Amino acid sequence: MPTDSEGRRRIVYCVGEEHALRDILPEAEAAALLSAASRAGLRGVRVVDPGGKALWGSGDDVPPPGEGDPRRPILLEGEAAGSVVLPAGAAGGETQDALLALLADALTAMAHNNLKRMLVTETHTEVVNRSYEELLETNRSLSASEQRYRELAGTLEIKVRERTEELSRAMARLVQQEKMASVGQLAAGVAHEINNPLAFVTSNLRTLKKYTERFLDIIARYQRVFEQGGVAQQDRDDLRKHRVSLRLDAISEDAGDLLRQTLEGTERVRKIVSDLKGFSHVDEEGEAPADMNREIDRTLSVMRHEIPAGAGIVREFSPLPVIPCRPGAFNQLFLGLVRNALQARQEGLRLTLRTGVSGDRIRIAFADNGPGVPADLRTRIFEPFFTTRDVGKGKGLGLTVAYDIVTAHGGTIDVEDTPGGGATFVLQLPIRRGSHDQIR
Amino acid sequence: MIEYDSEEQRMVLKFVYYGPALSGKTTNLLRLHDLLAKEGRGDLMVLDTKDDRTIFFDLLPFFLVAPSGLKIKVKVYTVPGQVQHDATRKAVLQRADGVAFIADSRRSEAKNNAESFGNLERNLSIVGIGIDKLPLVLQYNKRDLPDILPEEEIRRTWGATGFPVVLSSALEGWGVVETFRALAERAYDALDRRYDFTGTHGLTRGSFAERLVRRAG
Ligand SMILES: Nc1nc2c(ncn2[C@@H]2O[C@H](COP(=O)(O)OP(=O)(O)O)[C@@H](O)[C@H]2O)c(=O)[nH]1
Ligand SMILES: [Mg+2]
Repeated sequence: MPTDSEGRRRIVYCVGEEHALRDILPEAEAAALLSAASRAGLRGVRVVDPGGKALWGSGDDVPPPGEGDPRRPILLEGEAAGSVVLPAGAAGGETQDALLALLADALTAMAHNNLKRMLVTETHTEVVNRSYEELLETNRSLSASEQRYRELAGTLEIKVRERTEELSRAMARLVQQEKMASVGQLAAGVAHEINNPLAFVTSNLRTLKKYTERFLDIIARYQRVFEQGGVAQQDRDDLRKHRVSLRLDAISEDAGDLLRQTLEGTERVRKIVSDLKGFSHVDEEGEAPADMNREIDRTLSVMRHEIPAGAGIVREFSPLPVIPCRPGAFNQLFLGLVRNALQARQEGLRLTLRTGVSGDRIRIAFADNGPGVPADLRTRIFEPFFTTRDVGKGKGLGLTVAYDIVTAHGGTIDVEDTPGGGATFVLQLPIRRGSHDQIR
Repeated sequence: MIEYDSEEQRMVLKFVYYGPALSGKTTNLLRLHDLLAKEGRGDLMVLDTKDDRTIFFDLLPFFLVAPSGLKIKVKVYTVPGQVQHDATRKAVLQRADGVAFIADSRRSEAKNNAESFGNLERNLSIVGIGIDKLPLVLQYNKRDLPDILPEEEIRRTWGATGFPVVLSSALEGWGVVETFRALAERAYDALDRRYDFTGTHGLTRGSFAERLVRRAG
């Protein structure tokens, strides 16, 4: 069976089969007509095919027809499909000619009608059979697709469940990122709000310090005058008593320290606020040159309160070249890595932060002494949607975010074993990047 | 072509009159039967007619012999125009050597013409005939009726396709033989390329057409 361009079986309909005279005229019908003709005077009449071979005769005992014998064509679709022949020696004449013509016409008409009937039957059969085949074919392809859908339906449920889990994790991740972003913004906002009063508090304190020095200076002068006897003994005693009761000597000594310490305090507040602002990097658009050592320190200073007293954070920094990057993103990344370490081991955590240059890359390693990452999970922990904790429940940012930040920068992040136990996350960042992914 | 037997020196060609129901396909064959000489032409077979609409199809056969002795039978079929007879249409269209598309010129029939032509295109592709390779002639019939598409509009529509367009009134008997001749000539060109009618069989384009459209005396 032929096939179409898509490989489906094509069902061929065709009518118009060719037939020979022998197939169209049944011998019984022809023979009856011939013997009647014979009785009517055409003794020995017979039908021959186009090649001259005798097909049917009248049954009379006569010699075979010859070339010159009188004959008339039997027409089939305009073509002479055979002839009626009257053998030589049979009585000729006008009557015989007319009878012969009549016989030929009768056989032509008979053939025409039979052909018509056959054609109707052929068409009908053809159309019915092919329509049936077409139905079978349709049925076959329907069964095949039904089978396909049945299989699909089976796996669909599992796929939907998997996809739903992925989506809810992605959703949680987004919420988490959103939260981080808004916390950053909030921090920046608070920092900005604190900066204003802090500025005048600091400035006023400095002024007050100067004023106090002057107060103390004039008090000291008054005292000298009093002591040298410039006033009545009575008043002098009074003042001395009062001075003692006010503990002015101690206060005078203390006032300077107090103000100096307070100014140190405001300086510290100022630094925290500036770190907070620097950490959130909301002021910065896109990339800025950054020293990774400084960014790590900045992260640590913001996280100070999170780090338990027993935890040991060791900084093994080597000087690093300044590289253009998105410092805010890297602060988030460092924060996430430190938090991971804090979660990896509750007590006795020792986290070594090591930086250095290796070839054309900056290498930053965060080595903890926690349980480590099993070998079979090492590549998977950076995959999107992979987590051993539920995102949003743990405090970490998720390693996928870390992965995204590092790859966006053109670097790599891997996890190794810490010698003696634990996990070491290693970041490698190119010092120089292709011009196309430089500052946008 | 339904059949070609080089040993027997015989060839059976198929021409198909296609078009919407009642556009005048049967009338075309009736007129050809009346107008053309009895010699070399068979009788018209009108198969299974009910309510004057062709249920199966009509067949008008022609027969001619080329100077080389090649016997050529040309079977001219009509298809049933009714939508439900698509299987019969496909069976008739299969291995066609040429198609005359009979359209009804009346404006009211424009949609039926278009649908039937779309059906022809679809069925040609189903039976594996490329419409660009098929000898195709268009006939706008019933020109004797009022409210018909003007000739210039028809020529504008079909001009770019290169298909010959013949205007006719099968009822009045004109344009019918011209359509058949145009179809015969187009089919001849395709067959000549394949079977070398002129060289091998001594059959020229003119004599092929002439033998098919010999007028009754
Ligand atoms: N006025 C007019 N009527 C026509 C013409 N050709 C066919 N008809 C009529 O249209 C009707 C359908 O014709 P027919 O040949 O049976 O259509 P078919 O379904 O395409 O075979 C008949 O009543 C015909 O007499 C024509 O040229 N002019
Ligand atoms: Mg008809």
